[in-house]
Amino acid sequence: MTPSEKLTNLEEMVAAIPHGASIGLGGSFLHRGPFAFVRELIRQGKRDLEIIKASPGYDIDILCRAGCVSRVRAGIVAMEGNFGLAGGYRKAIESGAVRLEEHSCMTLTAGLRAAGAGVPFMPVGGVHGSQIAEISGWKKIADPYGGGDEVWLIPAIRPDFAVIHAHAVDRDGNARVEGSPHWDRALTRAARKVLVTAETLARPESFAERPELTLVPGFMTAAAVHAPQGAWPGSLAPVYDVNYEAVAKYVEESADGSMSGHMAAAPEAKQEEPA
Amino acid sequence: MTSFTPFSYVVINLARLIRPSEVTFSGVNSTLPMLACLVAKRAYDFNFTWLNVAGGVDAELAGPVPLSSGDAALTAGSRSIFANEDFYDLCTRGGMDLCFLGASQIDGTGATNNSVIGDWDAPKVRLPGGGGSAVMMPTLKRAATWRTEHSTRTLVDTLFFQTAKGNLQSVVTPMCVFDKREGRLAVASHHPDVTLDEIRAATGFETDMSQAVPTAEPTEAELAALRSLDPDGRFEADAAIRMPETAA
Repeated sequence: MTPSEKLTNLEEMVAAIPHGASIGLGGSFLHRGPFAFVRELIRQGKRDLEIIKASPGYDIDILCRAGCVSRVRAGIVAMEGNFGLAGGYRKAIESGAVRLEEHSCMTLTAGLRAAGAGVPFMPVGGVHGSQIAEISGWKKIADPYGGGDEVWLIPAIRPDFAVIHAHAVDRDGNARVEGSPHWDRALTRAARKVLVTAETLARPESFAERPELTLVPGFMTAAAVHAPQGAWPGSLAPVYDVNYEAVAKYVEESADGSMSGHMAAAPEAKQEEPA
Repeated sequence: MTSFTPFSYVVINLARLIRPSEVTFSGVNSTLPMLACLVAKRAYDFNFTWLNVAGGVDAELAGPVPLSSGDAALTAGSRSIFANEDFYDLCTRGGMDLCFLGASQIDGTGATNNSVIGDWDAPKVRLPGGGGSAVMMPTLKRAATWRTEHSTRTLVDTLFFQTAKGNLQSVVTPMCVFDKREGRLAVASHHPDVTLDEIRAATGFETDMSQAVPTAEPTEAELAALRSLDPDGRFEADAAIRMPETAA
């Protein structure tokens, strides 16, 4: 068998990301986010990143607290569960340290769909009456075919990287997601490069048996990492639930200006780098 | 003496907005609507389609209700996964009857602010953001929102920022249920222990109360359903809903 050209480790995957890159993150709020990857961005001291995600929470909060981010495009931001607003993100926006491009979740996705389809913009339903359109400078047009209402057009959003946490990946970068794909389909089609972290490393044959379960075909994946517990402290259903105790500890510790306990408690910090 | 608590008042009155045979959606950061949809499924003798942000379609929870309203536990028993792009497209093509959408501030016309307290460019408080509302509010048939705090800073004459405007039909607070009539939110019913004067004092916009009646008491089925969903009172404690001090 030829050696895998896709499998790497977390450290090397993140080392290939330049300062200033735009990164779209998968999952939604506390669920199936590539959070081990996010923490590795912090360990390597990445700066000036743009983060793109319809519904970020823990990920944008911890990246803002670590000073890794200068720009964010997001639809709704909160810690969620019973944790309320994301304090680190709030502070970053309110102080002007991070610039926000505010979206509705679906306008962000319309921008990703435009990039995924290779067109400069994408029509989106709704938005009428929202001041978000004004502050974002979006344009609307009358139906050029002469029927119906005016439609808002969202400019293409093309992240440098899409990073998702999948249930399984194989040596060629095929990635399988169980349950809701959230926004990961549009995101992985929009980005210049797709990076996959995955809970398990599975045999290629298992993908051939049920190819319709593969969300990202291997040819689209630039690099893949076996990252067990990679969505911690969030969930990867049905494998593990949100670790509410760990999230609560993060919220408490980070509000006091420290993250070292949380970073040291992360699963990837406690295990050897997987081969 | 009413058998409503502030918490059960909000959840049960949200549940009562759900109608037979309709498509109803509950989103992220929406614990009380999640509970309302589950109350309606358990307490009401009719069918409706419940979609949720976790991708579930008529989920039947096997275990305890998750703390996060986006948890995959809300796909238990679901025979399909109807994920984010699908439910937004359904909404914008006119297929959503009722959606529960959060709002930090609501004005008398039913426009909402989820974005900021203060100026958008230099906010005093950066709020979660538009989420679904800017796209969903103008395209769904009826939206409902809720506030755990009924006050002149949440129910306002002028929004700091208009995140969304459209078909907001109902607002449920611990004090009353608003229903939009002729383009304005009017008090449809009030908590049995709350007076109209108390509601007027706590509401920042002009509102018609001429047709307000006391809210019907919760049924045994509604209370039993809510108890089954929150047996140890965790959700009630987290929601921390209190009446304004001016009220009962």
